[in-house]
Amino acid sequence: MEVNQAKQEHLLALKVMRLTKPTLFTNMPVTCEDRDLPGDLFGRLMKEDPSTIKGAEALMLGEMLTLPQNFGNIFLGETFSSYISVHNDSTQEVKDILVKADLQTSSQRLNLSASNNTVTELKPESCIDDVIHHEVKEIGTHILVCAVSYTTQAGEKLYFRKFFKFQVLKPLDVKTKFYNAESDLSSVTDEVFLEAQIQNITTSPMFMEKVSLEPSMMYNVTELNTVETGDEGTSTFGKMSYLQPMDTRQYLYCLKPKSEFAEKAGVIKGVTVIGKLDIVWKTNLGEKGRLQTSQLQRMAPGYGDVRLSLEMIPDTVNLEEPFDITCKITNCSERTMDLVLEMCNTRSIHWCGVSGRQLGKVSPSASLSLPLKLLSSVQGLQSISGLRLTDTFLKRTYEYDDIAQVCVVCPYMSRES
Amino acid sequence: MDNNETPAQRPVTLDITGAVEVKPSLSEAPISPLPSLLPSSDVHFQEESIDLGGESFITPEEDSHSTPSESLMDKLNDQMMESVMISDSPNNSEEDDVVPMDNLLEQFEEREEDPEEPENVKQKLTTDDQDVITVSVSAVTPEDSTPSSGSPKPEAAALEASSKETTSKDESIPVCTIFSQGSQPKAQALVPDGFQPTLIKSPSFSSSTGGSTEITPSQLAPLVCQPSPSLSKFFSDSGHVNPATDFFDSFTTSSFISISNPNAESPKSAAPPERHSFIGPTQTEPAPATAPPQPFTQLQAVFSGGDDPFATALNMSEADKRYDAWLPSEETRKVLISMATQHYSQVFVERERLAMPGLKFDNLQGDAVKDLMVRLMGEQAAMKRQVLTANSVEQSFLGLKQLISTKNWRAAVDLTGRLLTAHGQGYGKAGQPSSHNTDSLQLWFVRLALLTKLSLFQNAEMELEPFGNLDQPDLYYEYYPTVYPGRRGSMVPFSMRVLHAELPQYLGKPQESLDRLHSMRTVCQTILDNLEQGLAEDGSMINLTQENRQASLQLWKSRLSRVMYAMANCLLMMKDYVLAVETYHSIVQYEPQQKVQLLSGIGRIFLQIGDIKTAEKYFLDVEKASLEKGSGTIDTCVLMNRAFIYLSQNNYSEAHSSFAEVLKIDPKNPVANNNAAVCLLYLGRLKESLRQLEGLVQQDPALYLHESVLFNLTTMYELESSRSTQKKQALLESVACREGDSFNTQCLKLV
Repeated sequence: MEVNQAKQEHLLALKVMRLTKPTLFTNMPVTCEDRDLPGDLFGRLMKEDPSTIKGAEALMLGEMLTLPQNFGNIFLGETFSSYISVHNDSTQEVKDILVKADLQTSSQRLNLSASNNTVTELKPESCIDDVIHHEVKEIGTHILVCAVSYTTQAGEKLYFRKFFKFQVLKPLDVKTKFYNAESDLSSVTDEVFLEAQIQNITTSPMFMEKVSLEPSMMYNVTELNTVETGDEGTSTFGKMSYLQPMDTRQYLYCLKPKSEFAEKAGVIKGVTVIGKLDIVWKTNLGEKGRLQTSQLQRMAPGYGDVRLSLEMIPDTVNLEEPFDITCKITNCSERTMDLVLEMCNTRSIHWCGVSGRQLGKVSPSASLSLPLKLLSSVQGLQSISGLRLTDTFLKRTYEYDDIAQVCVVCPYMSRES
Repeated sequence: MDNNETPAQRPVTLDITGAVEVKPSLSEAPISPLPSLLPSSDVHFQEESIDLGGESFITPEEDSHSTPSESLMDKLNDQMMESVMISDSPNNSEEDDVVPMDNLLEQFEEREEDPEEPENVKQKLTTDDQDVITVSVSAVTPEDSTPSSGSPKPEAAALEASSKETTSKDESIPVCTIFSQGSQPKAQALVPDGFQPTLIKSPSFSSSTGGSTEITPSQLAPLVCQPSPSLSKFFSDSGHVNPATDFFDSFTTSSFISISNPNAESPKSAAPPERHSFIGPTQTEPAPATAPPQPFTQLQAVFSGGDDPFATALNMSEADKRYDAWLPSEETRKVLISMATQHYSQVFVERERLAMPGLKFDNLQGDAVKDLMVRLMGEQAAMKRQVLTANSVEQSFLGLKQLISTKNWRAAVDLTGRLLTAHGQGYGKAGQPSSHNTDSLQLWFVRLALLTKLSLFQNAEMELEPFGNLDQPDLYYEYYPTVYPGRRGSMVPFSMRVLHAELPQYLGKPQESLDRLHSMRTVCQTILDNLEQGLAEDGSMINLTQENRQASLQLWKSRLSRVMYAMANCLLMMKDYVLAVETYHSIVQYEPQQKVQLLSGIGRIFLQIGDIKTAEKYFLDVEKASLEKGSGTIDTCVLMNRAFIYLSQNNYSEAHSSFAEVLKIDPKNPVANNNAAVCLLYLGRLKESLRQLEGLVQQDPALYLHESVLFNLTTMYELESSRSTQKKQALLESVACREGDSFNTQCLKLV
């Protein structure tokens, strides 16, 4: 293991140990009753064992802390802590000792030593201690490079290095999906729902301390991960908020454009930045990790040049009775439009009023409200279709079908019954 | 995007992750074994020598480029060259040409959002994120930070592209991008569920980049992150070690106290004639099973003792009845009823339905401490080690107890073997008919309990196997009406049933343990119900005196709580924390005096998960409960909990002072002493920590020669100096003076 030994005996020894959190010692309770052959022997042995819980010896989880037993895994976002000890193994005093700890990743090299000062002297059997911490920000191979230089009594300058390699693994798998609250009436709200699936791909349970969405400047966010009961909301994930290895959990967020952006509906189009997820978790005895996703992006639903949304529509109407709806027409293009409205009847939907009327000029991002009257000749759930807008400047026609549904009922008693 | 293609034409001067290129001379260098193979030393970093497994960082040609100034370092460190990656060339000229469109787009957007951020910074960060690593050909040392100009620099995209094509090693994966892997080889557009892989990076990293540098998923999809096989395997393997299996019980004091247990001895005087009533096994062919059919009601009456009240009343002491009560399965019950009704006539029982145990291994012998001393210090030194063996004690229960209390459990196991051999259930006797009595089953229980304590689970399982599920008819007193006239109930001690149920979980079969524990729980609960309804334990209509009923209720409540503890422990081992916490909670109602310990334990479970807030809630309940009690010992419990909270907040100095406060109240508290020393190590005070633990072990070996303390001590010895072996040997010597042959030498990490 001592690679350098063949060449040169060094006066100083460098030892490095990763400081993960200590673990709690667990007992294995083996009990008997007084009438059994060993009598109270087993009980007494357990009481005298310092690692048992006094008064509840059958409780497996003790209080005795034990140091980490192996290197363990290290995950992105966690903090890498390590004890570096340089010990004078020789019988002579050593001078001008400099200990440097660097962390080499695939992209950069960081100095982790708490101080870069030279220690003037180190007596035999004494040591220089350093505890280094580093929040791991990259995946893949990391090499801890520890360099020690010193001067012997004879004045010889000596130097040696040791390398400690470890892999940083990925702790979480995050998938996101957007849902546009678009299709029917809520289109007026421009709400976006984000579903984030977070999977624990480590080997230990994870307590999710925080999973929040930091919205971009355009949106306000509502977290939909608690159920309001009384004054305190309870998590949708139950009482214990931890994630077993390979378990996945869905978080849901609702995003609403801020009013200044919502007014100009045309602003939100194309690829928009929604925000990013901020995830904080903890594992054994509070070992903490934190990650953020990159900016989540969404392709806003394309509205074309002219967007037609509904401001008012009844949900239930009577058969063959006119009813009113209010449409909102927004110019989402960069130019002014001169619009003509045409209304085409379908098998069930009949528009009232004149088709082909001029709506006038609409400048970019401006909108106009349009009250319309129509009636249905067929019962049941009917889809409203058949609106056509034509921009006379470019001679371009925009078709709007299946704008909304209404339930058409018959107000009269049926004679057959 | 186009950056996948453009760079491919460029010469790649150095593929960081590339194929293995090792200097021929170096290939003979000793390969350090994987740490996972060295259980004794794997706490510490494995020193890295040449990794022949595929990550050599430099080629021979490059070596020749090294500048003169590094010759010393080279001389000292040529066992491993390092690659130097320069990431401080933000305005790499070629970079701008190939910035993918997305990046340009993003930068554009980013600029809109925070225009004050200078552009060159952004460019630089972009390169970081994209894993644009320019590699100088010469092996520049970190001290020499100026990149040797003029050396060809492969650009990032080239690196990416080539790595995609030539290697699948993880090093080439762009830094700090995480995306769903493996399961979705296709680009995200094709993913049926519509989920997008999402890039993740560390917040502090992204805060500097401002999130401007993401790569679209489609670009990244093929770059699946796969950890290098060797290391990741090691880490995950060794990282998975179940703490419970690592070091188990050990006991400290060894003062010998002879205990006479009249209850245990008394049955021996009534030594039963063997094979008196055992009839079935003489038939090797499948026998006509069980008793001739009888009306069930009549059987019931017989079984409940109505037919034979005199024998029952005379021969069954109340205590026996209480302790031996058990509810056999229906089938066993029928056999037992027929035994009772036949009144000494023959009843044929199928051979398969009888328990025919026998020793499965002969001698366990041996003393690991002595073996280790012989190996490390020679015969001479090892002569000093004197422990009791099975030969040096009386060949009786008395000698057995002596061995147990001096913690010579291996010798005790041997002695149980001899005693069982005398009983006709010795080595190789498994599967051969033999009869049971109270003593033989107690011997089996002690033997199996000791095997379990010694972590010899496999042996215990082998020898338990002939007992089946401890429900064979010949394990009940009713099977031997002549030997135990009128006596009813289970010959198998309750503790052996618990042991039998707990054993599978140590062998990786926790579900089986849970099954057995659940059926035990049902029996306990039924017996308790019977008692509360004014019936006897087995549900028969026997009148119990109030005194006896109370005693019985108390006994069965404590048994039920023991089963619940076993269930909770098993669930904890399975990491089913929800159920484990629930079960521990439910024990409070049976053992209200253990409320403080139970709630603290639940709090610690939450700390283990990482849920500090909930743990604090439980610890608060502990404080309330301890206030109600108002006794002095509870204060230490509250302080201890507080220390654990500090520990979980990474506040080791406060944790240390809390443990120190416990020591003010209770200076001999071994847990607080040990834990305070552990905190000192995390504070960078190795020498102090060592001094404290060493002092404890020397002053009070009875308390501190515990494997958890010794493990901590030896770990710190290893960290402290290269001469840890001598110090560990000194520990071994003090162990040799005090501990029995059951001492687990692994915690000394001498092998």
